[in-house]
Amino acid sequence: MMRVACLLALIALAILILTAVHLDGASATMFSFIGIPALAAALVLYVIQRWRVGAFRRTPRSSTS
Amino acid sequence: MNSAPVGPLFVSPPVAAAVDWARVLPVLVALPAVAILVWGMVRGRLPPYMGVAVLVLTLASYGFGMLMVMEESKDIRFCGSCHVMTPIVESLRATDGESLAAIHYTRGLVPTSQACYTCHSGYGIWGTFDAKKAGTMHMLRNLTGSYTFPLELHGTFDIASCLGCHAGAASFRAVAAHQDHDVQEALLSHTMACTGACHPAAHPEAALTGGGAAS
Repeated sequence: MMRVACLLALIALAILILTAVHLDGASATMFSFIGIPALAAALVLYVIQRWRVGAFRRTPRSSTS
Repeated sequence: MNSAPVGPLFVSPPVAAAVDWARVLPVLVALPAVAILVWGMVRGRLPPYMGVAVLVLTLASYGFGMLMVMEESKDIRFCGSCHVMTPIVESLRATDGESLAAIHYTRGLVPTSQACYTCHSGYGIWGTFDAKKAGTMHMLRNLTGSYTFPLELHGTFDIASCLGCHAGAASFRAVAAHQDHDVQEALLSHTMACTGACHPAAHPEAALTGGGAAS
């Protein structure tokens, strides 16, 4: 899952760099309709992966007092 | 008419920054994120601190990228880069006075580098927002081919775009038709348009049907 998230984020960043180098209708269309959804999907996968390993679980803290 | 500037005095906009930070900044922020993501792909995992770093860098680069696209998509070269719009942008340079847009463009009545945006966006932050929303829909329609010729304006043209410049002009106020109360009411209620009855069409018919520009 992490590899897929990284791949999607890399696709999103490649489109961003392409758009910055050569901005026209085609690159802006890719930025809006491929780049942003790919970035959102990567974020969702990353959050799910972190949730599955228990990153968002509350752990009781040991108290010394 | 040759649109190429023949000297630095005719370049618009006149002052160009040495470094185009709007384009450089998203790339500068994206490059370390790419390095971390490649490392993550090879290893199949990312330590939490690296995950946070790549999250911040990627979101920041996309934030800067969105600002870049928002700003630089105001340029008429961007508008004309889609085939369907190319004849309309080319028709702006016609000097025969056939279209209102060409009259404004060739006489320098609108900023020549942002001519489309100047007339097709309203005032204030919501004007910009509506223009960008409409532009995104244009891209989607262009991508899916869901448009028909002749191209038509969606809804009514916002006359505030005209009045923003003309309302205070003495020459505009001096015209008898503009002083007529009924005409004013009709224009403001969108039952009458500036073009058609009194002024030439905004764009030539040939350009709206995907044909070449009038010379």
